[in-house]
Amino acid sequence: MLHYDFMQRAFCAGALIALVAPVLGVYLLLRRQALMADMLSHVSLAGIAAGAYLGANPTATGFAVAVAGAIVVEYVRRFYKTYGEISVAILMIGGLSSAAILMGLNKSLNQSVSSYLFGSVVAVDRTELVLLFSVVLAGAVFFYVLRRPLYQIAFDEETAATNGLPVKGLSLAFSLLTGMVVSSAMPVVGVLLVSALIVLPASLAIRVAPSFAAALWMAMGVGLVGVFTGLTASYELSTPPGGTIALTLLLLLLAGVLSKKAYARLAQRNQPQLDKAEAAAIGPAAGFSNHTTLH
Amino acid sequence: MLLASMKDVTFGYSDVPCLVDVNLDILQGEFAAIAGPNGASKTTLLKLLLGLLKPWKGEVSLLSERDSGRGKRKVGYVPQQIAAFNAGFPSTAEEFVRSGRFAAQGSWFRKLRGEDREWTELALKQVGMWEQRSRRIGELSGGQKQRVCIARALAMEPDLLVLDEPVTGMDEASRNGFYELMDRQVRKHGTTVVMVTHHLPEARPYLDRIIELERKENGGWKCCTTTSCRGHFAPARSSRL
Repeated sequence: MLHYDFMQRAFCAGALIALVAPVLGVYLLLRRQALMADMLSHVSLAGIAAGAYLGANPTATGFAVAVAGAIVVEYVRRFYKTYGEISVAILMIGGLSSAAILMGLNKSLNQSVSSYLFGSVVAVDRTELVLLFSVVLAGAVFFYVLRRPLYQIAFDEETAATNGLPVKGLSLAFSLLTGMVVSSAMPVVGVLLVSALIVLPASLAIRVAPSFAAALWMAMGVGLVGVFTGLTASYELSTPPGGTIALTLLLLLLAGVLSKKAYARLAQRNQPQLDKAEAAAIGPAAGFSNHTTLH
Repeated sequence: MLLASMKDVTFGYSDVPCLVDVNLDILQGEFAAIAGPNGASKTTLLKLLLGLLKPWKGEVSLLSERDSGRGKRKVGYVPQQIAAFNAGFPSTAEEFVRSGRFAAQGSWFRKLRGEDREWTELALKQVGMWEQRSRRIGELSGGQKQRVCIARALAMEPDLLVLDEPVTGMDEASRNGFYELMDRQVRKHGTTVVMVTHHLPEARPYLDRIIELERKENGGWKCCTTTSCRGHFAPARSSRL
């Protein structure tokens, strides 16, 4: 399978996405923006349609429009402070409706549309791979260098602001990165399922992982396994890669959550004494203490 | 010494102001409580003080001067029911409290040192959560989450602690333990503590000052005046109730 040039590129692209998208997903989920990836990909579709209609490179226009959408959503989000999801809905409608109209204007686009919607391993060309690599590199640097500010902002923006963090700027940078990752991941998994790669590994990880750092690593691991398994299955069964990868990730999520439940039940049955000791330690005895200084 | 002050501040969320002509001074090293009925804009007052909201008119100044030698002053803020807000956050209690250390030195990028681990441990012990440090925040009870949030603020080595109804979800023994802990922070370390509370009678013995928000009758606005117990500029130590 890996003798084929296009499969090598697909695996390479898949691995790159699988490393950065799930980490992005963990933060998106915690910031209550799980649907943002979905929205940006729909907005990006309008860019692709516009690019095809105007005779420009659809990948480039899709990328540009997704980034613009990310900036706009950040401002709309500030407007509807307590209902973050409204901004997502508003922009999604805007993106999808303009995509529908632009596609209607351009009849020749219709056959390649399905490869944009559901992904196509053949669609990954050299330009897209280079674009993807630079986006992933930027994402890796962003998430590593800013891991502490991002942790605080993901928990609560107001306390982060009182700690002296430039919350607005960081939030905007985060949105921009989301737009970049989404649009560069689209050729592999497709518009409709790009959010699967972002949301599914993250939702398993934040459910199962024992700590925040573990959640990030776990999301990456799940993403890699899902993409490789999905791409292989898609090749063997000649199914669209986007759907196959998303379904694989969904199965992984189901298996992970169920086995966590089973494990918890097993641990309960096997160690009643440990539970008691733990309960004693957690009980009312633990109160505020009078230590005030170090050492 | 003046730590924070508000001068003739007016603020509202819609077109009607909810706080009118607020004058307030917070002195360094005092333990102050903000009290008032529901809807008296206590939380709004805190947010204005912290600079999270911009007043319509008037001036708010907070920590404008720099402490000599100790770098920029640090504010530990524990919002109302912060613990309930992000209940499923996939983080251990220890990781969470350690994140308070990021802000402690004013640097978000340096390597964590042994000192940071010690401060984290101390803060967790102060709130009685050291034994549960490796549990996930989501698995803790409401009162325990509240303690972990307080511990994160303590780990910052704050000059000013701003707490919005910190004792919500705590039993009586815990509440008293909490007041004593805050009292020691104020007396021993010179930390300034400002808290919103509905448990005024039991907190009163520890407080230096009570700031009460009252309804102003003229004009029919719901608005507020601040009154201090012993005058704004009395030395904090001598004015204990």
